[in-house]
Amino acid sequence: MTGISRDILMAVAASREIRDGETAFIGTGLPMVAAYLAKATHAPTVSLVFESGIIDPAPIELASGVGDYKLVYGSTKVAGTFYALSLLQQGKVDIGFLGTAEIDAFGNLNSTVIGDYRKPKVRLPGSGGANDIASMAKRFVIIARADRKRFVEKLNYLTTPGFLDGPGAREAAGLPGAGPVKVITDLGILGFDPHTKRMRLEETFPGIKAEDVQDAIGFRLEAYSRAKPAIPPTSVQIELLTRKIDPTGMYIKDFQV
Amino acid sequence: MARSKLVSLDEAVASVHDGMSITAGGFAHSHQPMGFFRALMRTGVKDLTIMGVAECWVAEWLAAAGMLRRAYFSNFMFEGFGRCRRFSEGIENGTIEAEDHSHFGMVMRFMAAGLGLPFMPMRSQAGTDIMNVRGFENPSDKAQMFRSPFDGEMLSLISPLNPDIAVIHAARADELGNVELYGTTSVIEEQVRAAATVIVTVEEIVSTDEIRRNPQATLIPGMMVDKLVHLPYGAFPLGIYGYYEYDNAALAEYYEASRSPKTTRLWLDKWVHGIKSHWDYLDAHGASRLLSRRTDPHLGYKYDIPEEVAI
Repeated sequence: MTGISRDILMAVAASREIRDGETAFIGTGLPMVAAYLAKATHAPTVSLVFESGIIDPAPIELASGVGDYKLVYGSTKVAGTFYALSLLQQGKVDIGFLGTAEIDAFGNLNSTVIGDYRKPKVRLPGSGGANDIASMAKRFVIIARADRKRFVEKLNYLTTPGFLDGPGAREAAGLPGAGPVKVITDLGILGFDPHTKRMRLEETFPGIKAEDVQDAIGFRLEAYSRAKPAIPPTSVQIELLTRKIDPTGMYIKDFQV
Repeated sequence: MARSKLVSLDEAVASVHDGMSITAGGFAHSHQPMGFFRALMRTGVKDLTIMGVAECWVAEWLAAAGMLRRAYFSNFMFEGFGRCRRFSEGIENGTIEAEDHSHFGMVMRFMAAGLGLPFMPMRSQAGTDIMNVRGFENPSDKAQMFRSPFDGEMLSLISPLNPDIAVIHAARADELGNVELYGTTSVIEEQVRAAATVIVTVEEIVSTDEIRRNPQATLIPGMMVDKLVHLPYGAFPLGIYGYYEYDNAALAEYYEASRSPKTTRLWLDKWVHGIKSHWDYLDAHGASRLLSRRTDPHLGYKYDIPEEVAI
């Protein structure tokens, strides 16, 4: 099992977060294949929304991004970016997925700068819809490879709210969504302690020990006595991902036949 | 009878002066007004401010040409490629000043301007450095927290942004400037309402009767448009839904060139300054290149003819 693709483990874990009947806000990359895997298996009636303004599409080929015309095919509505984002503020979106350059123990994200804001060492692309999804989707999931440079004690810039500085902070800021529920890494799945709102290890992928995860994280994870091995992907899920949804390896990049 | 809005590309470009603020339509590699901006880049206009959401190629090219001074924006990156290098390095070396927003934050600033309101209330951006860390704007001039007088809930209020000029590339229009665009429409409706002057370039000019046949397809009514330019392939090397896909090789050529200021300059010399007109630009690519990017009317994207039977 050690030879299994990390991208497949992450995509399958992400797809399991989507429940049937929900509305999911989806971006480019693993969330897109995870959403189509969920739709093809346990969540056939999930509605997908993309920030480019595409609502509930039925593409016949995998899109290279949310702006790709392949993603417009079969949609029930095309609109603009305002329309898609307004669904978040209205509370119509159950779940969103985000990537990040940096993440802290409270699930706050940085996709803006490394270094000083006004004279950065590295200028990153900026929030885009990430802040809006994290603020206003009912819940959200972060997908990020475990790395001490990414999982940091202190962010260079807080672009996107997790639990901000701890319990009660989201409510005080008036953020309507409940915040992050999972952080899916290539080593395992992290969640948040319900009292401290800090990150903890909940599930490990095959061949990975709890110490391996802590070693790849730049802050102390909360203790959690009920951490367990993640459910391995089924052969049906692997088949769907690698033959139907992403046969050319656009997002599932490390799959060996 | 209402006046025709049709002007030449040069006349439209002459609306832009040093120090103006600009916003442009488009998202990812779709319907950004690249033909207009190639012409603008030949004029040497400088010290521009971009007020942008997703017009990454416009921001990057203005930065590459040294024309950009400030950016109010939410996200500029190249889908499938990566960072907008000239734009990002401009911020890193201090030649471009940045003021960050979420997408919704930028859209709400346009919305406030377009509705003639002093602010819009919203529920994102709160609690983050987007509100707390100063760019070139005083944080309290940008957004403030506010308790709703009706239900006591905390909201953030965001102030308006009025661009001097909005530049839009769309599918079709009549001479009066009634504009149709198919597929996703990015932030065009909000940008057009917020801007003082609206310039639209289109693939096709059609009769007003043709517009009246399907009024639901009209994204912008003519009363909102100041200048209209007939500019076939005006989004190229990007795409426009229902007409053509972006040209990956042309985008990759720029992206490779953008790795250094020197190679960027060579690219600008070849594809912007070395070309006299929009027609010359299209000729430089050639009919085969342009026609091979046409989209299938049913699929909405390019139908891939199997290799063994392709020309």
